[in-house]
Amino acid sequence: MNEAELKNLWLATSQKMEAQFVINIKNTEDFARMKTYHLLGSMKPIKIFTILAGLLWVGGGIGILTPVYLFAFEKANKYFLFSVTIQIVLSAIALFVYVYQLVLIYQTEITEPILKTQERLARLRISTLWVTRILFLQLPVWTTFWWYGNPFTDWTLLQLLVSFSVTMLFAAVAVWLFFNIKFENRNKKWFRLIFDGREWSPLLKSMEILEEVEAYKTAK
Amino acid sequence: MEQSTQQQFFGEIIEQHKGILLRVARIYCPHHDDRQDLIQEIMIQIWQSLHKYNNQFKMSTFLYRIALNVAITFFRKNTRRRNRHHTLDDQVLLISADTGPGKEQQLNYLEKFINELKEIDKALMLLYLEDKSHAEIAEIMGISVSNVGTRIGRIKERIKARFSQLK
Repeated sequence: MNEAELKNLWLATSQKMEAQFVINIKNTEDFARMKTYHLLGSMKPIKIFTILAGLLWVGGGIGILTPVYLFAFEKANKYFLFSVTIQIVLSAIALFVYVYQLVLIYQTEITEPILKTQERLARLRISTLWVTRILFLQLPVWTTFWWYGNPFTDWTLLQLLVSFSVTMLFAAVAVWLFFNIKFENRNKKWFRLIFDGREWSPLLKSMEILEEVEAYKTAK
Repeated sequence: MEQSTQQQFFGEIIEQHKGILLRVARIYCPHHDDRQDLIQEIMIQIWQSLHKYNNQFKMSTFLYRIALNVAITFFRKNTRRRNRHHTLDDQVLLISADTGPGKEQQLNYLEKFINELKEIDKALMLLYLEDKSHAEIAEIMGISVSNVGTRIGRIKERIKARFSQLK
């Protein structure tokens, strides 16, 4: 069977199926009763909630840290202060990612060309990776909150070795993950291990779609 | 647009273009149970987007964009369920491969091979099979006319190769 015959067969069966397909137009009254419903509508409330919670967290953090920097810097435990500052800065960056996602949700238009819409949707899902990267980047900071005095004079040798080793290990893992959690590594074993599970499968699928979109954009 | 007018307009375009919904569902949902859900979702999105219709484009272009965008997004949500059905469909096709080729079987193989394509390639193949012009395909997909030709050529080669493996 050649290409034209196959195409004709496709069209003929499509017409046959179409003739048998009945849509009850009365059902359209149900659509008329429906409130505005966006394909990505279900994603909006959680993003808005996270942004509000993030604003409270970052805002509260800035509110507490500013007077410390201005009026009590000399007295403050610098390890605690800098750890909290780094934590707040990274949270602010994560907050920015959530705002970016909300903008993408509002911009996504189902009536636009396939490539444009699918690219936006894929980027929306993939930007979740940024939040994960930032989350990992906070790892070493959680090991330095409690540090005090001069570790080289005030701590025991064992305490110094254990603390520094743990912090260095967490820092190395955090930096490595920050630079390696990316689209290109999606097929690596360790990546699949972190992003295994039902909630991550749409993200992995989005990566494949984005790759396809990119291939279309670069094709001549 | 008044609600009753919109309802009438909606009814008319759905009746006139229901084939688009059906064919998109046919390509993206190999399993019948999923097709009803997808068609329902597409209809809801068409209803919600009717006021955005711009008559500088054909109605079919507008409808294909919505239907394909919904189908690709819907597909992502249903990957797990789809994978389960895929295994079953493949088995059925493998059994029938020994029974000798007929027209319907060729069509089954065509559907199977389209099903193996990536999501955006599937959309392109559907529009090609629907005999759409390269210019209209370019408008629906958002790529250049020359790119349409190149991509369709590659997909056709891939499908031809799959058919030749059957012999």
